[in-house]
Amino acid sequence: MKKRKTFRQRQNRYGYLFMAPWIIGFLVFTAFPFLATIYLSFTNVRQTVRGFEITFTGFGNYITAFFENVEFVPALLNFLRMIIPYTFVIVIVSFLLAYMLNKIRFARGLLRTIYFLPVIIMSGPVMYQIMDSRSSAAVEGIDTFAEFSDIFIVEMIYSYSKQAAMFLIDIFSELSIILWFTGIPIILFINGLQKINPSILEAARIDSANSWQILWKIIIPMIKPIAQVSTIFTIANLGTFSTNPVYDLIKDATEQTTDSLGMASTYAWIYSLIVLIIIGISFLIFRNRDKEGGT
Amino acid sequence: MRHKKLIRLVRIRKLQTFFKLCIYFVLICISFTYLEPIFRMISMALMSGKDIIDPSVEWLPKHLSINNLKVAAQVLNLKKTLFNSIWFSALLAAAQTLVSALTGFALSRFRFRFKRIWFILIILSFIIPVPLLMIPRLMLFIQAQGILGVKLIGTPIPQVLMALLGQGVNSTILILIFHNFFNMIPYSLDEAAMIDGAGQFQVFFQIAMKLSASTVLVVFLFSFVWNWNETYVSGTLVRNSIELLPAKLNIFDSVFQTYASSTRGNAQFRINEAYKMSATLISIVPLLILYAFVQKRFIEGIENTGITGE
Repeated sequence: MKKRKTFRQRQNRYGYLFMAPWIIGFLVFTAFPFLATIYLSFTNVRQTVRGFEITFTGFGNYITAFFENVEFVPALLNFLRMIIPYTFVIVIVSFLLAYMLNKIRFARGLLRTIYFLPVIIMSGPVMYQIMDSRSSAAVEGIDTFAEFSDIFIVEMIYSYSKQAAMFLIDIFSELSIILWFTGIPIILFINGLQKINPSILEAARIDSANSWQILWKIIIPMIKPIAQVSTIFTIANLGTFSTNPVYDLIKDATEQTTDSLGMASTYAWIYSLIVLIIIGISFLIFRNRDKEGGT
Repeated sequence: MRHKKLIRLVRIRKLQTFFKLCIYFVLICISFTYLEPIFRMISMALMSGKDIIDPSVEWLPKHLSINNLKVAAQVLNLKKTLFNSIWFSALLAAAQTLVSALTGFALSRFRFRFKRIWFILIILSFIIPVPLLMIPRLMLFIQAQGILGVKLIGTPIPQVLMALLGQGVNSTILILIFHNFFNMIPYSLDEAAMIDGAGQFQVFFQIAMKLSASTVLVVFLFSFVWNWNETYVSGTLVRNSIELLPAKLNIFDSVFQTYASSTRGNAQFRINEAYKMSATLISIVPLLILYAFVQKRFIEGIENTGITGE
């Protein structure tokens, strides 16, 4: 007689049966490539008739990337200069927008629809064309600084520190591009705000807290986990978005399959390591604040 | 006494309406910033050649013309690329929907060993940048090509295979949507079916999938849109052998250059710009139409990922 399986064994078997496609895919197309790229970044890959010829070169590729290739380091710095301020602005702006959207009733659906629209249409080429048309407009004679320099506050900041002013101008001139990344964080924030129990807010109001205090003492601490999710999502989204300068380098190197795949994987690995480190830092920022709040 | 209280109440009311109006003002202004690029595209696409050069025309064209759109459509090879993009994205979306449903079901229904670890890995796979994985994937497919003797690079097979095994675009989000929806279906339904003699696969196809028709649609649409917009992976694996609309837009500049030089000498810069914007508009119109019909579902889909719940 066949031995009957226990409930737990059956659960285990079916669980793995249903998970099987994903697990196989993960092992073959994600876990293996992840490790392989790290290995390949130390090698030189040549495609021959018989297959790939891999020779170990140690840190040769890294030296080439950092000291010999003139394009890589600037591209990386450009990327950092983009991703860090963008993430801050995106998360804060999307929280503010969600907070305001949560306050109103009339036409909320319509506005939300508009804010979510970029998620649907945003793709690398579309963004490239929009940014390209902007930068070519700037070349045509409309200097970005000139456009903003008559604003009093900008002038004031400019007189203190030129860099801070340029930084602000950069953000404002790219605002509609930045805003296009806020679609999903806004929805997450709205959803989180609606889940805050109204009786907590009422209790605070009875204890004579004004809305400023409610915002800082109740809403922001409660929304923090969502802010964390949004931050990570935004970094991942920006990091995998194909308008960033490092992508072009990686892509060019990948397309010449004959002998530059090793170099390409070095670029990819350095780049990904930086993205992962940024995500890690964002984790730490949120955790530390949580602890302070707890004690 | 009562009178004073009333006055105060009225004042608070007034203040509140004032704040509300401020909020509306800000929100509407910002929504224009969101839409500005799209408005810009539409206005440039509808301008005639004269308006484009005319510096007094900023937004509203004086003479409407669809010439720009026509040229852009021709350069984009619209009929073919549109058709290609639709079937390609739909195929990948179908594959992704199926595997996300299976994985979501497994995570919501069964208790198996290392479930937590798999769950964390699913989430981690979202934050790994794709370029990191593309090179070994490409080498893998080139090797397989050599061993099997079948042409893989340049066909949709590699991407379909990856989608079918749950490694397509934003798979994690799709799995989370399904996972959360299946969690909402009461387990007693499954039990009832199993008492009537249904196996797990029957429960999955006959009960879970049938109940989640709307979720299936949402996931399919999201996957469709994301695959449509995805150019990096398809650019590396499919390259130019299947002409897709966004990929074509990517190389629009160079294609247009050859087109322009062969037909009308050197086109002026601003005119060039108008063609580019028209092409961009064309490439997003299918998505805009889709969004106009099912926008509510898209938003609900993101709300139902459950990331905000726990």
